Amino acid sequence: MNILIVDDEPSIISALRPVLQAHGHVVTSAADAREALVQAESKAFDLVLLDLGLPDADGIDIIAKLKALGSAVIVLSARHLESEKVRALDEGADDYVNKPFGIEELMARIRAAQRRQAVQQGNREDAFASCELEVDFVRRRVVRLGEEVKLSPKEFELLEVLCRNVGQVVTQRKLLIAGWNDPAADGQYLRSYIALLRQKLEYDSSEPEFILTEPGVGYRLAVTF
Amino acid sequence: MENYLLSSNVTGRRTRILLVAAAVFVVASVGTYLAQGNDRRVTAVLIYLTGVIIIGALSGLRLGILAAAAASFIYNFFISEPAFRFGLTSAEELVPLVAFNLSAVITGGLAGRLKDSERAARLAEAHSAFLLRVSDRLQQSVRMEDVTLRAREAFPADGVTDLEIFVVRGNQLFALETEGDTSPVLPLEAIVALTDGGAARRDFCAFELNGSGGQLGLVKFLLDRKPGAGDALPDLQGVANLLSMAVDRCMLLERLSETRALQRSEELKSAIISSVSHDLRTPLTAIEAAASSLRSFSDSLPVQQREELLSTIEEQCQRLNQYTANLLDMGRIQAGISSSQFGDVDVLDIVGVVLGNIRLNFPDQKIEKRFALKSALVRANPAMLEQAIFNIVENALLHGRSIDPLEISIHGEGKYCNLEIFDRGPGIAKSDQPHIFERFYRSEQPQNRRGSGLGLYIADGFVRAFGGAMAVVSPIDEHGGTRMIIRLPLLVDLSNVEVEP
Repeated sequence: MNILIVDDEPSIISALRPVLQAHGHVVTSAADAREALVQAESKAFDLVLLDLGLPDADGIDIIAKLKALGSAVIVLSARHLESEKVRALDEGADDYVNKPFGIEELMARIRAAQRRQAVQQGNREDAFASCELEVDFVRRRVVRLGEEVKLSPKEFELLEVLCRNVGQVVTQRKLLIAGWNDPAADGQYLRSYIALLRQKLEYDSSEPEFILTEPGVGYRLAVTF
Repeated sequence: MENYLLSSNVTGRRTRILLVAAAVFVVASVGTYLAQGNDRRVTAVLIYLTGVIIIGALSGLRLGILAAAAASFIYNFFISEPAFRFGLTSAEELVPLVAFNLSAVITGGLAGRLKDSERAARLAEAHSAFLLRVSDRLQQSVRMEDVTLRAREAFPADGVTDLEIFVVRGNQLFALETEGDTSPVLPLEAIVALTDGGAARRDFCAFELNGSGGQLGLVKFLLDRKPGAGDALPDLQGVANLLSMAVDRCMLLERLSETRALQRSEELKSAIISSVSHDLRTPLTAIEAAASSLRSFSDSLPVQQREELLSTIEEQCQRLNQYTANLLDMGRIQAGISSSQFGDVDVLDIVGVVLGNIRLNFPDQKIEKRFALKSALVRANPAMLEQAIFNIVENALLHGRSIDPLEISIHGEGKYCNLEIFDRGPGIAKSDQPHIFERFYRSEQPQNRRGSGLGLYIADGFVRAFGGAMAVVSPIDEHGGTRMIIRLPLLVDLSNVEVEP
């Protein structure tokens, strides 16, 4: 992938560059928002790793432009700034990684973004398959570890959104739109349905392993391929 | 309007005196008439004289003289011979008249003087009662603003409608107001200007307030301008003295609390500095040692040791990360957590997230769960709640024994959700328990000296911000053990909420 790292801290770039290159990515860097936009306009990037605290602008302000230029965007944000993350995701960012992060976590996020982009470029997928979970979007069938699971239509709609964004965070807002066509719908409905989905899919719904909660942001489907 | 000085039944008393005087007069008249009829003239005069003396003593000079005049007239006209005719033909007729009037003047005068001093005594008593009342109120005031508020409760009274207090700050006088922020300001010279002419003004009366450190300020008593309203003004100088003492005391208290706050912030600063230098340096030292070992000896080190050094670096980085997060969270608690960052959060959901983290960090730890609720909705910031619960669980794991399972239970109790975390460690010493939620508090016991002393403080700070409370029970039994309880107010019970099919 063609990756642009936007961060004003050179040590972050020098730490990430060799690892990403070792994984076969082409890495370009930018130290501020202006340079990032210049780079993004001159060359097509598959993915932008965007630090939000830039010296010349709020990183959130350039997310929409980067998305319009066709890049996926993963935001690098401090742990305690949930509202900032939600704002970045609402602006179109695909995912976020809390700083400081382990390289494993970052690579997992990059893989998820890559998978999603591959799907978007091809045709819309008709099915989803991971080690634990198979979902047929056309026939609306769900198989969990070889056993079919019956889902209500609403449960299925929510699971479908999570599957289509597998490995990536899905905001409450996105799920409310998917399930109720209304971003202002009562979050209580969503919580209830997620609880039902967990009861049907999780080994122990009080300690979910697949449908993870990102406190204050949304949910993330974590499976292995 | 409350009136402390004039008793409300004054008119009633006057009427009573008048009635008694009239009765005495009638009785005396009848007695005199009967005695005269029996030709006992001396007795008759003496009876009348006695009546006049009684009336004079009872009701003062004016009624005494009136009674004397009436007695003179009646005696002369109706009783003494010749009846139904005025006449001063003999000394015998003149003497009773002189006696009546003279005794009326003397007894009335004496009675009047007595009554005046009685009235003065009553007024003085009322004044001191009023001062006592004001003083009682002022004693309850701890802050400067309270002084005005408390003093005002005593007014309006006796021609004083209200009062204003100004205190010296710098070289200006600031009004001590409770409502609003528009406090009127006077120049310092106003103290002299207003107090000097105090007596001459009709609408207010001002006194200087003085304390142990000199000039404190000024009090202005606003007077009722209605005529007659200010006849019995309370002891305003006395009130002003009381106010001086109250303002002086509050100023001293204020200065004391400022000094204390300053001292506390100095203590906090040095606690932060010593904590930062220890808790940042220790992991940094470990990281630097591990990294430089890897660089210098990587060829000669066996693979396993290289791995260990790398894990050390990762672990210490996590420790640094946790520590900086703690410092940030401490800052957020100190700055005050706004409820605008709160949403509806399911405690069970967050506990699930925390358990996920714990399983990653402590893979061998056994955890027993007892959840009596299917859902426990509270109003909170989800990430802060996660941090609070994580800190408690982590604390229990660090201090408990890893071979024993950790117990986590959630149950409802009325309008509250109780989240309890129970470890079978040695327990928390009773002497430590009052302090465990304090900033930078670390138990003296050596096994507890790990950690930054911020985890429980942060958990407690967050839980309080959500309207909840934390409690600790330790030891649980003779084997020790600690139960940490997070109590949060529930929004609704999800078990009653219908889910559409």
